[in-house]
Amino acid sequence: MVGAATFHTAMAEIVVGSMVLATLCAIGCSISRIVPTSEINNESLMVTMDRASLAGSVLALIFLPIAILSGNIAADGQAESALLYNKFVYSGLALGFWSAFVIGRIRMGPGLWEERPLAFLQSATAGVAFLMTSMASSIGGKLVRGESLFDVLPFWLPTETASILPLWASFSLLTLGITSSALVFKFTLPKIVRIE
Amino acid sequence: MNRNAFVFLICITLILTPGSSLANPGGNGDGDRDYSCGGSCHGDPALSMPSEATIEITLGNEVFSGQAVAIHVTIEDISTPSNIIGIFILGSLNGNSDTPEDHGWHLIQDPNGGSSNYIETKAASSGSVTVTWVLLSPTNSGSHSLYAEIHHGGYPGDKAYSGVSEKFEVIVQDVPEGLPGLANDWIAPSFRVSGDNSPLSISTRNSTDISVEWMLDGEWNPISVESVCIELTEDFCNDWEVSIPATMGEANILYRVTTYNGTFAIEQPWLKMGTAPPPFEGEVWSARAHSFAFALLIISFLVTLQARLYPTIERDNMDQTQIVASSEMVRSEENPGWLWNPESQEWIEDPEYNGGNE
Repeated sequence: MVGAATFHTAMAEIVVGSMVLATLCAIGCSISRIVPTSEINNESLMVTMDRASLAGSVLALIFLPIAILSGNIAADGQAESALLYNKFVYSGLALGFWSAFVIGRIRMGPGLWEERPLAFLQSATAGVAFLMTSMASSIGGKLVRGESLFDVLPFWLPTETASILPLWASFSLLTLGITSSALVFKFTLPKIVRIE
Repeated sequence: MNRNAFVFLICITLILTPGSSLANPGGNGDGDRDYSCGGSCHGDPALSMPSEATIEITLGNEVFSGQAVAIHVTIEDISTPSNIIGIFILGSLNGNSDTPEDHGWHLIQDPNGGSSNYIETKAASSGSVTVTWVLLSPTNSGSHSLYAEIHHGGYPGDKAYSGVSEKFEVIVQDVPEGLPGLANDWIAPSFRVSGDNSPLSISTRNSTDISVEWMLDGEWNPISVESVCIELTEDFCNDWEVSIPATMGEANILYRVTTYNGTFAIEQPWLKMGTAPPPFEGEVWSARAHSFAFALLIISFLVTLQARLYPTIERDNMDQTQIVASSEMVRSEENPGWLWNPESQEWIEDPEYNGGNE
């Protein structure tokens, strides 16, 4: 029998690995459209990177809820420290950014890379999504081993202190989130179609 | 070729970036542990070396059975780059059941404020450190043994270091009848929450009165505080409360209890109490709702942004033949040249209409 913490670590590793691939390829797609076409920077590379970023992000998006759920079980249903509370919040942010990345790519198709503002938005979304994911996983390292790869960086997003919302405020925010996404899915999303 | 060499160099650099380390650098934290942690690297002859440090145990006061005693452990000439050192107080060197508790002692407080027989601390740059455990001595009088052991790391490439003191013999004297002291089951609190000024409970035995003095760690002038008897039984009062001021930040308070039985007084060892941060008040359901709310808000925001940046299509100038051909428009005989769009509920011009001429 594998413990929840071990299972969570395995899931988190799959998520982070897939997301590294997705992020690098998404940024690569944007760069590929900025720099002039050459022997290396050709259409074949562009198609490969686009498909790899889509595959990586979809795979990560499948495993991210599993990682979040197993993390919940591993934490024993407690948010007993600021680190753990922030891990929840960063996981939610990562889920939001990756979902938006996948929705955008699937709805607009590979043609989105031809539109410079959209290509920039898509690669920036991937970059921030990866930052949020790696923050959540680094907090895991801090909790278990007391150290993280981010320790060597000169900057560090807030993790030791948390902005705690009371239960009613969290649920009000959740209601707002549900309402706004329902409106966006009903009225805004149908306007976004495949770019040929 | 140059590109391959560049990629190869990056790979090698990434592999070599993490520092090499063995086992648990920095230790496993304070805890109750047997001699050499029951076979750790420090206890394995193949993986360890004897430390050059000198280890000495001294007593802080005379030892009566069942009474509190301060055990000072002084380590000198230690050589370790991190200055981190793990120190044990032990009742034997068997490798199992070695803690003082296993040999009749009772740990009231360790040097870090807890109640463990193994602690981790930092030595001064001079390579020396003195730490103090407060123990209740065994209830049976006579000769009892104590040992101190140290574990520390070395410079890169070195093995784990280990050192143990000579056997230190403690003569426990019979306790005079009615000797006042701390209760056997009382454990000194390790920490108080920052800003907490609630009274401190102290349990004693055979005491008619107590006096308590305190000072901040590093100060030298203790201040006396008043003690209040909670429960008076016959001539003795063994449950007390004292008001020691609240501390903030990382301040440690040292306090000493003197127990009285009539005019006879016993000065107990100094005890340490740290300051803990306030308990975290976050709720798991709040964190979950907060998390999913952020996820949904981010999706909404980014999808809206995608729609905003989506390229506008100039429909007026477009050839709509394909749109019409692929859609399910309804051709009406009553309105020649127009098609009914059931989706948008409007009439649109039929691009295939040629004015009724076949």
